[in-house]
Amino acid sequence: MVITQSPKEIDSIGFGLMNPEEYREMSATKIITADTYDDDGFPIDMGLMDPRLGVIDPGLECKTCGKHSGQCNGHFGHIELAAPVIHVGFTKLIRRLLRGTCRECSRLMLTEEERDEFREMLKTVRSLDQDVNDVTKAAIRQARKKDFCPFCGEKQYEISHEKPTTYYEIQNVLANDYPQLIAAAMQDEDDPTSPQELAEKTGIELARINEILGGTFRPAREARRSIERALDVDLTVEDMNKLMPSDIRDWFEDIPDEDIEVLGINAQNSRPEWMVLTVLPVPPVTARPSITLDNGQRSEDDLTHKLVDIIRINQRFMENREAGAPQLIIEDLWELLQYHVTTFMDNEISGTPPARHRSGRPLKTLSQRLKGKEGRFRGSLSGKRVNFSARTVISPDPTLSLNEVGVPDRVATEMTQTMHVNERNLDKAQRYVANGPERHPGANYVRRPDGRRLKVTEKNCEELSGKVEPGWEVNRHLIDGDIVLFNRQPSLHRMSIMAHEVVVMPYKTFRLNTVVCPPYNADFDGDEMNMHALQNEEARAEARVLMRVQEQILSPRFGRNIIGSIQDHISGSYLLTHPDPETGDPPRFNETQASDLLRGTSIDELPEPDGVEESEAYWTGRTIFSQLLPDDLSMEFISESGDTVVINDGQLIEGTIDSEATGEFGGEIVDKITKQYGTTRSRVFINEVSSLAIRSIMHFGFSIGIDDETVPPEAKERIAEAIENAYDQVERLIETYEQGDLESLPGRTVDETLEMKIMQALGRARDNAGDIAEDHLDESNPAVIMAESGARGSLLNLTQMAGCVGQQSVRGERINRGYEGRTLSHFKADDLGAGARGFVENSYTSGLTPKEFFFHAMGGREGLVDTAVRTSKSGYLQRRLINALSELETQYDGTVRDSRDNIVQFEFGEDGTSPMMVGSKEDFDVDVEHIADRIIEAEFDSDEEKRRFLGEVPQETNLSEHTERLRAAGVISDD
Amino acid sequence: MVNVHAHTLVPEHRVMNEDEIEEFLEEYDIDRTDLPKIVAGDAAIPDEASVGDVIEIKRDSRTTTTAYVYRLVIEG
Ligand SMILES: [Mg+2]
Ligand SMILES: [Zn+2]
Ligand SMILES: [Zn+2]
Repeated sequence: MVITQSPKEIDSIGFGLMNPEEYREMSATKIITADTYDDDGFPIDMGLMDPRLGVIDPGLECKTCGKHSGQCNGHFGHIELAAPVIHVGFTKLIRRLLRGTCRECSRLMLTEEERDEFREMLKTVRSLDQDVNDVTKAAIRQARKKDFCPFCGEKQYEISHEKPTTYYEIQNVLANDYPQLIAAAMQDEDDPTSPQELAEKTGIELARINEILGGTFRPAREARRSIERALDVDLTVEDMNKLMPSDIRDWFEDIPDEDIEVLGINAQNSRPEWMVLTVLPVPPVTARPSITLDNGQRSEDDLTHKLVDIIRINQRFMENREAGAPQLIIEDLWELLQYHVTTFMDNEISGTPPARHRSGRPLKTLSQRLKGKEGRFRGSLSGKRVNFSARTVISPDPTLSLNEVGVPDRVATEMTQTMHVNERNLDKAQRYVANGPERHPGANYVRRPDGRRLKVTEKNCEELSGKVEPGWEVNRHLIDGDIVLFNRQPSLHRMSIMAHEVVVMPYKTFRLNTVVCPPYNADFDGDEMNMHALQNEEARAEARVLMRVQEQILSPRFGRNIIGSIQDHISGSYLLTHPDPETGDPPRFNETQASDLLRGTSIDELPEPDGVEESEAYWTGRTIFSQLLPDDLSMEFISESGDTVVINDGQLIEGTIDSEATGEFGGEIVDKITKQYGTTRSRVFINEVSSLAIRSIMHFGFSIGIDDETVPPEAKERIAEAIENAYDQVERLIETYEQGDLESLPGRTVDETLEMKIMQALGRARDNAGDIAEDHLDESNPAVIMAESGARGSLLNLTQMAGCVGQQSVRGERINRGYEGRTLSHFKADDLGAGARGFVENSYTSGLTPKEFFFHAMGGREGLVDTAVRTSKSGYLQRRLINALSELETQYDGTVRDSRDNIVQFEFGEDGTSPMMVGSKEDFDVDVEHIADRIIEAEFDSDEEKRRFLGEVPQETNLSEHTERLRAAGVISDD
Repeated sequence: MVNVHAHTLVPEHRVMNEDEIEEFLEEYDIDRTDLPKIVAGDAAIPDEASVGDVIEIKRDSRTTTTAYVYRLVIEG
């Protein structure tokens, strides 16, 4: 499609009410008939499908602007409403104006002083960017207090609003039994009044008085009031006087412009009477296209259906009025017209039955098109379906770099990148086209300089490739090294979308290095991920510089690395560097083994051996690990397994490399390398550590089975004893409680105290069982290794597998629900013992009894429900937070401002530092001088050059992993 | 009554003089109304502050030792 209209710059957007005259002016035609098409299938003139409202059928010309479908946006028509109706969108404002203005002279019932006050308030509220609504509300509240109009003196009545669109004035009218009321008052025992006296007192003729008493004459307001005064009675009852839309329109027409200005309404573009519709705009057919079904029948849009209803009622209303139908019928039709116009605009108003389709489905009218997740705003504007995207299952590939993503060939041949052909890439471009759309590095489309787009087919590809010349565009397949965006939902933080370099691979899944699982929160149990191919140079450059995985190694959430070794990588490096408990030395490897361990890394030469054993040179695991470290790295920290790790000039002298050293979520070495040596060095390090660790775990072998969690019989006995002891304690506690001797803890009832003490005793029992089990599991036990190195699992998991599962709980209490006074029918009522309240004394290895299993399922269910509830709650919270913060932007002067230039922070984060680059530990200092020295040293060959550039050393940008290889091959640019 | 100004958790609030305000508004190229707001009834602001004044709040910060924030006093 060729875009003919050039984009226009929007200077400002104004909101206001629309003048009915404007509706008529912009209308292409008046709509008078509810019919759409005639018998021959042609649209009827002045019908809802009038050809002047725009074109939807391709090939036809628009009767208004002459353009074809696609070019013509469509044109509005209009319906002249037989009677005015309320616009549902403004019912609240209408109510306010009815309450605040005079029913007689329509002036805002505020004195000049009051008006000045509110004008002043408006001014400050506007300059402070606060809600103008608050002032309007206050002004109306003030005006409503007046019972009489300060301008004409007219008495004002209460306005009641029956949702959605009916308004009443609550007036006092003459009661129906007024003769009886008057008579009763005249026969007052203490002070009777004769008709003669009443006539004198009120100044009404005696004959009239008699007529009134006889019920043949209804006294007018003046007469009624004088009788009331004379007899001290109330002859009125409250009555609801319905305000018809026409009454409201007349009322609003008389409100002077300057009066509504006080309410913050600009009369120039919003006259209040425009809230009562006399003309209804008819949306163009392009906004409500009809579709032709398979059987040739036309199916109309919901909006068209609604408009048909409106026109039908409109016509009936006019006919009835002309025929002089009774007021009751007219009023019914009026209400019906109001209903249809209301539901045309919003079909989800509480209290109003929604208009339905013949099938019973509620119609989707104007407001339903905009609202909610699938609506125009959230569904079509903020987010929408895009081209050049792919989605498939993910699977792991440890041979890939963390920056890469494996893309299936069938995806790569479908996604394309646009090549602008020039002299230098002509060869390549021709080769792609020659390969055609099916052979992998091929092309799907070409575009000639004249704008014609040609599809590359198996048949024409050979011929077409010869024609390609500079100036053409070629849509070539994705190839290795292309940059793409990769995403896994839910996209909760910015690391959920990162840029990867493509590696085209066979089969059907996206492949990724396992170290990027934590930022995506991905696993391989069927997770799917999305890929987006970038479509222009700016996007690709931006993605490479800002979004590549290696740029996201540090998390802005906690200022440390989020990418690092996981699971087997950690077990592997633990095995490689952890000292043997007997010898106290880390494992040793001969030359073959050492070279094999380092095979996946860039190290192609072994260092000096650490020694000779049985006439064979050996290298320790620590020496091998040290090969991956930067030469001048020195640091010291405590590892997860508890020993001190010492690194001196790139040599691991002492300590175990585990999750604390290289792990995700803050591994010391990864964190330090990223901050001091840059993201490229860090990427290399993480890649190499993971491949070394995988080779090392394969060298040692690592598996786990039931036997690894089984403890010897003597340990089982000791565990049983510990639990037996706890049971005795519980028994004793219950006994003391039942004898009433249990002393309550401060702030707790006796019952609560008992529960707490029992829970404590049983908790101790489980811990003891765990300790006993742990004593009997030796250090080489795989589960112990995983727990100790921080690779996976915890001591609690071990305790539960080998020792005792322990107390199950629901809502933080021992299980106490089920039957009256007991959890299951197997127990006596009010049994407070351990077993009756969900204590599981077995371990997962020994197996649970049926009762234990049931309690365990209860506790487990609560966990599942909690997660489900938490995710939905936090999702909504997140949405609101994002919407509130999305427009904040850090400016070049360091301030954070919103879109109206209001300052939110004077310095980003109040300290102007990036949370990513700041150390999270109190004593963490980035050794800036050291870094500077090192870079300068590496950059300059001669001291002369170094001095010349000192202080302004450009850091080399490494935009692709393949730069080195490409440079060696003599390629200067990598695109 | 508790004197909130003396509480350790209440940072120092100071009314700025007109010259300071002018200089500082110029520095950020903003109007007074673009500043964050603080209501006149806020217990933490000095007693002499009135609507329209600008308050300087001096806060402790872990990363920069002290952080300054400015707020316009509004009615309320
Ligand atoms: Mg999963
Ligand atoms: Zn047109
Ligand atoms: Zn009046």
